[in-house]
Formats: sequence, structure tokens, C-alpha cells
Amino acid sequence: MTVNKQTTEPSVESKAAGHRAPAGRRIAVVLGLDRFSGLYVWAILILIFSLWVPSTFDTATNFRIIAGSQAITAMVAMGLIVPVAAGAYDLSIGGTVGMAVCIVVWFQANHHGYGLGIVVSLAFGLLVGLVNGFIVNVLNVDSFIGTLGMSSILIALTTWVTGGFQVANGISPHFTAIGQRQLLSLPLPVFYMVVLALILWWLLEYTPVGRYLYSIGGNPQAAKLAGIRVARIKTGAFLVSGVVAAFAGVILAAQLGSSGPDPGSAYLLPAFSAVFLGATQILPGRVNVLGCLIAIFLLATGVKGLQLAGAPGYITGLFNGAALIIAVALAARAYASHRKA
Amino acid sequence: MTPALTVTNMSKSFGGPLVLDSANLSIEPGEIRALVGENGSGKSTLIKILAGFHVPDGGSAEVHGQALHLGHGEASEALGLRFVHQDLGLVNNLDAVDNIALGAGYPSFRGGIRWRQERKRTRAALAELGYDFDVRRPAGDLAMSERTALAVARAMAPRATPAKVLILDEPTANLPAAEAERLFRLARRVADSGVAVMFVSHHFDEVFGLAQSVTVLRDGKLVITRPVAGMTEDNLIELVIGRQLEHVEHDAKAAEKREVVLQISGLGCDVLNNVDLLVHAGEIVGVAGITGSGRDEVAPALFGGTDRTGEAKINGAVVPKLRPDRAMAMGMGLVPAQRLANAAFITETLRGNITIVRPGIHWRGGILRKGPERADVRKWLDRLDVRPRNSEFTMADLSGGNQQKVVLARWLRMEPKVLVLDEPTQGVDVGAKSDIHKLVDEAAAQGTAVLVVSTDHEELVRLCHRVLILRRGRIADEFSGARMDHDLITAATIGRDQAAAV
Repeated sequence: MTVNKQTTEPSVESKAAGHRAPAGRRIAVVLGLDRFSGLYVWAILILIFSLWVPSTFDTATNFRIIAGSQAITAMVAMGLIVPVAAGAYDLSIGGTVGMAVCIVVWFQANHHGYGLGIVVSLAFGLLVGLVNGFIVNVLNVDSFIGTLGMSSILIALTTWVTGGFQVANGISPHFTAIGQRQLLSLPLPVFYMVVLALILWWLLEYTPVGRYLYSIGGNPQAAKLAGIRVARIKTGAFLVSGVVAAFAGVILAAQLGSSGPDPGSAYLLPAFSAVFLGATQILPGRVNVLGCLIAIFLLATGVKGLQLAGAPGYITGLFNGAALIIAVALAARAYASHRKA
Repeated sequence: MTPALTVTNMSKSFGGPLVLDSANLSIEPGEIRALVGENGSGKSTLIKILAGFHVPDGGSAEVHGQALHLGHGEASEALGLRFVHQDLGLVNNLDAVDNIALGAGYPSFRGGIRWRQERKRTRAALAELGYDFDVRRPAGDLAMSERTALAVARAMAPRATPAKVLILDEPTANLPAAEAERLFRLARRVADSGVAVMFVSHHFDEVFGLAQSVTVLRDGKLVITRPVAGMTEDNLIELVIGRQLEHVEHDAKAAEKREVVLQISGLGCDVLNNVDLLVHAGEIVGVAGITGSGRDEVAPALFGGTDRTGEAKINGAVVPKLRPDRAMAMGMGLVPAQRLANAAFITETLRGNITIVRPGIHWRGGILRKGPERADVRKWLDRLDVRPRNSEFTMADLSGGNQQKVVLARWLRMEPKVLVLDEPTQGVDVGAKSDIHKLVDEAAAQGTAVLVVSTDHEELVRLCHRVLILRRGRIADEFSGARMDHDLITAATIGRDQAAAV
């Protein structure tokens, strides 16, 4: 273009100025309220409960309990992020967790050793991912429906293998140590969770595959026409969520030392809540690993604090549900006002 | 006589500079007014204010002397304003009858909807526009031109109050010339019945062919409203961009014959039937045709977005079908039509949008290096003069023309052997359009074989060494050298063999 540079520059400036936020929002940005609001809320919760029930809440044991109890949910949720980033739901993760628990316990109850049990559990997780990929990409079933069906099948399988009873015989103490031993006075699963978080953060933020996942989630047609192998990447995403859920299942079995008829389903909805609540944090507007972790520990802290303060058991569901709706609604408002500006 | 529509001192900003700065205009009943300006000049903002989507910061509007309550869609509707928006606003999974009913309701409803009557009414409304298609097909399955007709039929469907002003926002963006002409005939008929018509267009031949008067917006300010008579296209372009546009000599554009890069033989698709074509290194070949000629199938079939028969070769190597990744690896790039649906990642950064093709270039030591990636992207934003020039802005922050440049940058960065452009300047303002044309010229000068599919025949004349005409799925004619003329091309697409007489 033959436009004089001097005449164009001010217009570029003024356009950039158009994106500058009003004063109120600028302060919010400086404080990181748009990205780190969860951390602030978390800090406030800790402060409130420390003052309210100092004798029980403000103890190292309590923090240890919160960390340990949430490690499984956190791992399941982080695995779920991968397909959700690519715009696919995986509702079979709960069923996969349960099936993995059941497999690893069954191997020990039948004297095949826990090592083989772990390997078969993880392989089973991959198999579930592969079948999910087939259902979604080849049979062209919507992921929500396809994995819902898969979930139901997995729960049925678990009930069949366990015969509907609690199975707890023949569990090796070496196996339960994987889930129950402590390091630096923190339960081992907390460390598994941290390692998994690092791996998935790297995968999503620092590899080409991460870019492909988010772009498929953003616009699958454009992704395809940018030369991305959409079906292959989506199948890969299901493989990740499947194997991570199976891994979480193995650790859960080690924590429990037994398998019930449906040990996994309880993890499905909290994982989804955490993923969507996490999408309002750190990298607003997209599901991400750190945001998901913040969401989980924020919710767990709130629930635990309320329980210690004497709230009844049903407070867990009440608090989690309300927090999810409020946080996502606030994020949607913030996003809409950002778009307008 | 009271004007049909008066707009007084209308202003609007979105928290930054004014995107509409005290605009004043008035349209008489029966007048056809063109509203022109570059992308981001405030046309769409003005229309959206009138439609009640945006609340203006200041100003007022009147329809036949009655004050319009701004910011309320129902109020515009009640005073007789009718709109066909840029995206048409159709519900894809509903059929024609239901789409028309979205605004007008079901007039046959008396305890139950009489579907046969409704379908008859819908068919009649479409027939008036010169269209005849199955009114039970979902809108999403219709061709672009049929969708446009449906949106116009909906705007003109009888309501509680009669239509007073019809506002069309780029109604011809997706229409080839012959079909645009049918729309114009309708617009004239509407105007003859006393309704004021205002339409937005980037095609200046339409402004001269249809409008009696033209209003020019630039940077949110109303530059001028004047009769079209006595104006030349160059005058208008200067008013729109505020500077002179340089002309490129295209008549003598002849590529030196170099080696064949892209070789297509027996290409077949839904409509396409046994199409052969060659593109040489450094050559720009155009493809023209009306909707239904198979024109819109060429680019996706070639790149692998849709299924095809026949063979495509790059430098002698066969490109497998349905494998965009292979096509890309073999050196083909595609700028697809309909940017928002097929190319843009709207919430992603410009960086993410450009490096989505082979981000791995910046992959070192197991990590995607964002520093070198930013530098890479900045280089391309500079080269294509994308504004604002910030790799971390999202695609949604950009105007249509700049978004299209970003998509182009995505592929130019790959230095493709073959570049396929499908409607490369659809919905792009004149300034950006001329920039894009230059970039395509540059790519060809460096030896890229370029295939341009376009409904904009002036664009084809401007860009191409040769233009192929598709009729009913086959190549019916070829233009080059002195025969290159957009009127002749238009004539050839609708099947008159005028070209032979020249």
C-alpha cells in the first residue's frame, strides 16, 4: 500500500487505545482478578475458616487431608481437560476409574499379582479411549452421547466382574502402599497429581499437539482445512483421558484396598465441574490444568471448612454446585464485556 | 414529503474512539440508497443501531416522522424497518417456511398451522425473487444464493405493520453476478412500491447499477451523501478510502511459460464433471462460474476438505484425496471461502492463527518456543500490514479485511508451491483488497502456482493470467490476454457465448 507512514501511525495508536479497558477494569487486571480470582477467593476462604474454626481447620493434618482426598478427583479432571480442549466430552471417565479399580483388585484376589493388574488396568484405559475415538470419529456419534453409552457399559462390566459385592481379599500391602504411604508427610497420590499436572501442562501449552487440540475445539472445520488430522488428534485425546482415568483408578484402589460394584461414578461430575470452573482461571476462556487444580482445591477447602464448622454432610453438593454456577456465570459476564470493549 | 428514514447526530463508541461520529442522513420513500465505506467505517454499527442491537451514545432516528425508540428491536420492527443482515440470520436446521415464520409468524394459524397453505405462500414469496427450491429443505442445506433469497423473502414477508424501509447489509457478498441481478430487480420493485431501500456493498458496480444516491462513511464519519449520477467509480473509491487508488495494468499480463506445477485431470465432485486444468509456476489462474456451476466445489475438493474423483498432481506427485494434511505437506495451501466458518479461530491470538500450520518449526528441546514464534508472526504481520499489529490480539479484535490477511499469512509463511484461494477478498474493504492482490502477485512472482476461485470478476481480471469459466460442472471457456474483461466473463458464466464475437 502506498500510504504515508506518518498518517497511518496515529490511527494504529488510536485503535490500540480502543482496546484499553476503563479504569475499574484496569485495576482488576493489575491485581490479576481476571485470571487469578480463584486464588483470591481461596485465600479469603482459608482466612475465614482459620478465624472461624481455628482449632480444627488451621492444622497441618487438615491440609494433608484436603490434599490427599482431592488427588484422585484432580487426576481424573486433568485427564478430562484434554478431550474437552478439543471440543469432545468424555463421560466414560467415571466408568473407566471404576473398571480400573475392579481390574487391579480382581487380579490380586485371583493371585495374579498387582503388577500385572496395574498393566492390564492401564491398557484397559487405553482400549476405552480407542473405542471412544472409534465411536466418535468413525461411527460419527456425538461425543456426549457416545461416551455416555460407554460409561453405562463400563459400569455394567464393573458390576459383572465384582459380582456386585465388595472385593477385598488378597490385596498386597505393597500395592496399598502406593496409595497410602506418605512422603514429606504428604500422601503419595499428591505427588502423582503434581507430576501428572506438569506433564499435561507441558502437553497443552508447549507442544504442537496442544495447539491442535485447542484449535479443533475452537473451529473443527478450520482445523481440518489447516491440515490438522482432526480424527487422529481427537482419538489421541480420548486415549489420554482414558489412560489417566485408569491410572487414577489404580491409585484409588490402592487407597481403598478394595473394590465395590461401582467405585468410579462418583468422580465423574466433580471432574467436569472442576474442568469448567477451571476454565475461568489462569487462561480465561479455555480449559487448562492449573485453573482446574485451583478449582478443585478451592471447592475442597470451602467444603471442608464448612464441615468443620458443623455443616451437615449434604453441604458438599450444595457448595460445589452453587460455586460452579456462580463462577461460570461471572466469567461469562466478564467475557461478554471484554468482547464489547 | 416526510422522509422514510431520518438519522440525526447518531454517535456510538465501544469504550474507545467513536466508531460512529454524529452521522446524519435521510432517505425518501422509494429511494434506493447505497451505503459504502471500508470495513470498520461504521456502516454495520449504524445498521445495528437502527435494528436495536446497539444503543447509541447520542442521536435520534425517525421513520416517516415518528420517533424510533432506539435500542429495542421490536420498536424498529413496529415502525416498519426491515433488515437482511450480513450473516442472513437464518436458523440452519429449520426449513424455509419456519425461517420466514421466525419474523412474521404463521398467518394460517387457527388452532393449528395449515402447512400446505404455508408452503404455498413461501413458494410464492420465493418465486417472486426468481427462486424455486424445495421449501422443506433445512436452510443449512441450501446454496448461498438460495439462503440470501430466503432472508430477503423473510424481510419482505407481510407483518402487522407494512414495510417502510428495507435495509440490506452486503446482500450480494455471496452471490455471483447473474444472481445478484435478480436481487436488484427485486430491490427495484420494492422501491417502486414506495419503500425506501438502503443497501451496503463493497461492489461499486452495484452502487452504480442499482442506487440513486450514495452515502459514504469513513472512520465513523459521514463523508458525503450525493446522487450517483455524474460520479465515476474512481471518484467513489477516492471518497471511500480518502486517497487515490493506483491502477494496475492487467491487460498485458502474460506469464512466461514455466514448468507445470499443478496438474488436475478428470476432477469430479457433486456438480464438477471431468475437469482438467494446469497451473504453471508463477501463473495465476482464475475460476469463475455462477452458483451451481461447481465453482464453489473446486477449492475444497482439491485440498481434500470434500470428496472427489479424478487426480491432482503437484510436480508430478499425486495428492491423495480427503487428506488436507498430505496436500499441505506436498506444498499446497488453501485460503478457504467463508473465513469465519472455515479458516478463523476467532478466540485465538493472531499468533495462534498463523502458526497453527506447522507450529513445530519453533519446537526445540521438547518445548514450543514462544519467543521465536512471536518474532516469526510479527514479521508476517509487518509484511501484510495487518492492523493492529500485535501478535497477542485475538482474531475477534480485527476487521474482516485484516482477518483475511492473517489467514493469507498462515499460508504464505509455508511458501507453498500451489496456493488455492477461494473467494480471497469476500467481505474485504477496498484498501485491504488491493493489498491482498499485491501479495498474491508477489507470491506468483516467486514461482508459486496460484488458483483463484472468485465470484468477483473484476478481481479475476485484476489478478489472473488466465480465467476458466465453469458452466454446469465443466470448463466452458477460457479467457486470457486481450479478451480478459469482467463483463465478458460475467456473460460467459451465464452461458452467452458473446466472447466468441469479440
